[in-house]
Parts: sequence; C-alpha cells; structure tokens
Amino acid sequence: MTTTAPPPPAAAPEREKSEGAGAKVLRALLTQRIALLAVLVVVVVVWFFVLDAGGYLTAAYDFDYMSASLINAVPLAMLGLAELLVILSGRGGIDLSVGAIVSLAGMVFGFAYGQWGWSLPAAILLTAAFGALCGALNGFLVAYVGFPALIATLATFYAFKSLAIVVNNQSPISTPPIQQLFSITSSVELPLFGQYVPDVPLGLFTFLLPTALVVWLLLARTTYGRRLYAVGTNDVAGRWSGIPVRGTRFKAYVYAGLISGLVAVVTVAQFASARPDAGVSGNGMALPAITIAVLGGVAITGGIGRVAGVVLATLLVVWLNAGILLAFVGNEGSQYQLLALGSVLIFAALLNGLTTRRYGGTR
Amino acid sequence: MTATLSPPSGASAPPTRRARVLPAPVTGQELVLVGVIAVIWTGLALATPAFLTGGSIRPLLVATAPIALVGVGMTIVIITGGIDVSVGGAIMVCSVLTAKQLVADTGLVPAVLLSVAVGGVLGLVNGVLIAYGRVHAIIITFGTANLFLFLGLQLFGSATVNGIPQTFGIFGRGAAGQTLGVPNAFLLTALITAAAWWYLRHTAGGRHFYAIGGDPHAARLAGVRVQRRVLLAYLVTGLLVGLASCFVIAQGTSTLDQSVGTGKELAVIAAVVIGGTSIMGGRGSVLGTFLGALLVQSVTSGVTQLGWRSQLSDLFVGIFIIVAVGTDLLRERTRRNR
Repeated sequence: MTTTAPPPPAAAPEREKSEGAGAKVLRALLTQRIALLAVLVVVVVVWFFVLDAGGYLTAAYDFDYMSASLINAVPLAMLGLAELLVILSGRGGIDLSVGAIVSLAGMVFGFAYGQWGWSLPAAILLTAAFGALCGALNGFLVAYVGFPALIATLATFYAFKSLAIVVNNQSPISTPPIQQLFSITSSVELPLFGQYVPDVPLGLFTFLLPTALVVWLLLARTTYGRRLYAVGTNDVAGRWSGIPVRGTRFKAYVYAGLISGLVAVVTVAQFASARPDAGVSGNGMALPAITIAVLGGVAITGGIGRVAGVVLATLLVVWLNAGILLAFVGNEGSQYQLLALGSVLIFAALLNGLTTRRYGGTR
Repeated sequence: MTATLSPPSGASAPPTRRARVLPAPVTGQELVLVGVIAVIWTGLALATPAFLTGGSIRPLLVATAPIALVGVGMTIVIITGGIDVSVGGAIMVCSVLTAKQLVADTGLVPAVLLSVAVGGVLGLVNGVLIAYGRVHAIIITFGTANLFLFLGLQLFGSATVNGIPQTFGIFGRGAAGQTLGVPNAFLLTALITAAAWWYLRHTAGGRHFYAIGGDPHAARLAGVRVQRRVLLAYLVTGLLVGLASCFVIAQGTSTLDQSVGTGKELAVIAAVVIGGTSIMGGRGSVLGTFLGALLVQSVTSGVTQLGWRSQLSDLFVGIFIIVAVGTDLLRERTRRNR
C-alpha cells in the first residue's frame, strides 16, 4: 500500500533527516502496529519470566505453560480473523453475531456428529457450511438490503442466540463421540525436533494455522483481497472502477460465518460438549474478537488491517491473560484479565489517534 | 432554515410548508410502533385473559423503565453518531455500589444521589476519552466496558450482595411503588423522556446533537462546540444509568448477583434502533426509543405469559429489529427515488 501512496509533501524529508535514532525508533513503533505488538509481546513475556524468577507467581510461567495456553488462542484468533474480514469491508462493517453463530453451529455439529452418527469430516463440513449460511444472512442484509452492519448483526445475534438455546430445549449435547473429541485439543509433540520444544496444542495446527494461512492468501494474494481493501477504503471509488461492491462485501460476511462455524467445532471439542450458550455466555465471544482485531491494527473505518497484526495481538492477549491467571489467586485473575484487556484496547486506540495526527496514520 | 429559503411572499407556497422545519412531532415509525404494541397487547389479552390486569401490566411497565431510561441517553449518543456499549458494565458498577450502601442503611435520597453521581463519573470517563481522544466511540466503550466489568466484579468481591432493605420500594413493583396505580419508576421514566423529547426538539442545544450527527465538521463551522456536546451526551447517559440502576435494584429481590447489567447494552441499543433512531446519527427521537423499549418488554413478557420458552423472545427481538429498520430503509429509498 505504501508504494501506491502519493509522494510525501516536500517538508517531510527534511524533518526525517533531522530525526535522531531515538525518534526513528519511536516513529517506527508508532506507525507500524506489527512492530509495536511484537515489542509488547516480548515485554509481557519477559516481565512474567522475571516475576516467575522472583517467585511472585502461583505456578511456573515457562515455555511449556505458554505453549499449553495457546489452545485459548485458537478460537480467539480465528474469530479475530473473521472480524478482520468484516471490518475491512468498510462502511461500518462489524459482526456482533459471531459468538451466536458459534453457539448455533456448535449445536448443528452436536446433532450431526453426536446424534445422527455422521463421520467427523462430514460433520465439520456441515457445520462450516451452516456457519457460512448464517454469515450469508448477515451479508445479504448488509450488502444487498443496506442495513448498517451493527444493526443487522445485532438482530441476527439475538436470533441465532435464541435458536441455539431453543433448538435442543436448552440442554447440551454430550454423547460419547463428542466427549472423545476432546482429544483433538490435547497437546502433541512435534515431529522431527519435537523433543527440544514444548508440546503444542493440536488445534493450533488443525484449525488456526490453516485458517490464518488461507485468510492471508485471500487478502494478500488474490483479486478478491485487493477488491476487499478497495471497497473498504472507498466503496464509491470501488464501484466506479468496476468492482462488484455488493458481492465483495457479501462474501466478507460469508467467510466470517464460515470461520465461526469452524470455531464452533473447536469450542465443542474444548468443552467436550455442544453447549447452547457456548459463544454468548458471559461477555460472549464477539466482543473479545473485535477487541483483538482493533488491537491488531484493523481500522474500524475499513480498508486497513493485516493478518499478522491480528495473530500478534492474539499472542499478546493470550500470554498476558495466562500470566495474570498465575499472578492472582482464585477468580481474581479472570477479573484482572478484563482490566488488562480494556486498558490495552483503550491504550491502542488512543495511540492510533495520536499516530494519525502526528504521522498521518498507521500501517 | 427552510423558512428563509421559501419565497418571502409565501403566496404560492402553502402555509404547511413552513411548518416542516422540524420533522413531525410523531413520526410514522412511532405510529407503527404504537400499532404493533396495541396488536401484541390485544393478542395477549385474547390468549390469556389475565394479561390486561394491573398485576400483569405493572411488572411489564416496571421492567421497561430502566431500559427506556438508559435508552434516552443512548438515543442522544446515537444521534451524535456515537454508541455506548459500556452501559451494561456501568449498570453493574452503580447497582452493586448502591446496593452495598443500602445494606449499610443509607437513606433513599443519598443512595439515589450516590448512584447517579457514580454513573455520571463513568459517563464522564467515556465522554472525555471519546470527545478529546478522537477515537471511534465503539472502540473506547468496548474498552471501558471491560474496565467497568472489572470494577463491578471487584466491588462484588466474589459474593452476592444479600439482605438489601426495601429502601427503594418507591421504585419497585409493590404497592409502595405506585402513584394512582401507575408504577413510579415508569412515571419518572416517562417524565424524563418527555423532557428530553422537548429539549432535543425545541432548544438550540438539543438541535446541536442532530447537527453533530449529520456532519460534525459542518457543525463545528456553524459554531457548535462539538467536543463539549459529545462529552455531554455520554455524561447524560452515565447519569441516567445511575438512576436506572436504582430501578434495577428495586425490581430485584433482596439479593443482587454478578449477572446484573449483563446484555443490557444490547437491549438498550435494540430499543433505540427499533424506535427509528438512525445508527448513522443525525436522526431519531426519544419517544421512539420509549416505544421501542415498551415493545421489547411486551414481547418478552408476552412470550412468558403464553408459556413459551423465555429465550424465544430474543428471536422476536431480532426479527423486530430487522423489520423496523428494514421498513425505515425502504421508506428512505422510496423517498429518495421520488
């Protein structure tokens, strides 16, 4: 994107010349979200290692623990990527319904795999397709009918949430095949060099990495990706350059639904049960996912955002949360996680505002 | 403004043209809402004869009050083009703090003042960050929602608040909470809604909110102090959250648990958009929000009265949002094509 940007005004190079090394580093950190996140991840990890060495934590914060906590990153990062696609599509794009889709698609998976005796691949396919169908409803309302995304997905959030609870009379499905599914969330030793590094949760390889890779390919290496950025930046300009604006926006919601369907499978496996309130209990899954996306540098106005930012933001939050859990006793930890998430989000947002005024935007 | 644009003689233009500076006092959407509520109530009355009795209507009105009250603030916020998703967390903070004071035998007036003040502080935090941080409201309030939740849970200290005395009975469902058979909480909400309706429609300050929602830059050039106005919108929301929290405490039994406030932000936003306020800003009315809240609560209590699963009401709320906003979109489209 930087290559297509117009040349900076004449005053800019002079200012850059007069900048010292410190100012340059500051500028890089402020304008490049990836760099800032990477530094923050390192700071958090080092900080907890120091706390651990000082004996302030209730259990060891080491690479094994960090690796095991990555299982929490799988649903979070995947939904963050779903929000990335939707927010990128612009015109107030946002999806409040991802958590509700997770609940409803999880019930569909529960029925197919746990009660109708479908094979695992078939059940996963059905769940993903069902998620995509839910996303298509959002996409239809937003892209073709013209609903503001916030309202359309608020409405479908209510509808899907309600259906998920009603469809099986409020009770979860946890038949033997579903209970055995828990094994896919267990940690495995990596082949070849596995004995030198900690065991890694299997869900990372079966779900998160493929999704991240596909979304990255979609955004960075396909026509569709370029179109999505174009539509998100300025959909009027997009229409005048012959881009099918509605179709492009529609597909973003379908993909988000599809990813939510996959998350449903992960969540069912994690709980060893298809819970009707899996994605909406407490604070739900949509709010943390949007937080991750924004933290990862996705501009809420659309057209700006990268997969790497979302993944790094997830790592930051997951490892921060894992550390906080050890630093406090009992459920105090989960409360301080809220404090950390809120502070980090506000900090990142204010930083974005500052950067925009000082340097003309983040990359 | 149209008055200056119309021909000065006014002979050719019918006099009604001049009256159209403001939108009609009651918009089409609001009339439709009244109709829908009437249909639902009639249907419920036919299905369960017990519905149209005071014992059934009064709890409905009491339950409507907090949503409609916070809805007044949320309507102003959304008119300015913002949004506040932190009201659920703010309700939690206010109600747990106030409930603890009630347990410590604080009187009615100090407790209400405390709750409103705390709500005001929380609203002020949102307002300052949004108005002066120049960050989109949804991001800031997602952040503060987490902070408020943390604060609320800390105040709870992993236990419920028990043994709350009936200090707030005046806002409750019982006989003490009624004036001429109408619940006080509902009366107060209606009064505040009426005041806000008049303020937003007939004062310069009120019109400024619409100007900001229409185009903040143009509003600034026209002399509106945009940042102060935006700050005020969130502050008002916070103050109303404080008062609504008193209603929430009064509705409950003598205990308050950690689920207080959960999901309220979405319920309030649903009431606002069903009431015809545009999420894009610049258009809307608190009267619509009031009716929207009443509709949502009627559906919720109707589902229970009919003996259906209570969770089914969310499905209806979703459908109502789609239908209400959808018809609004269609009207807008036909208006533009004409």
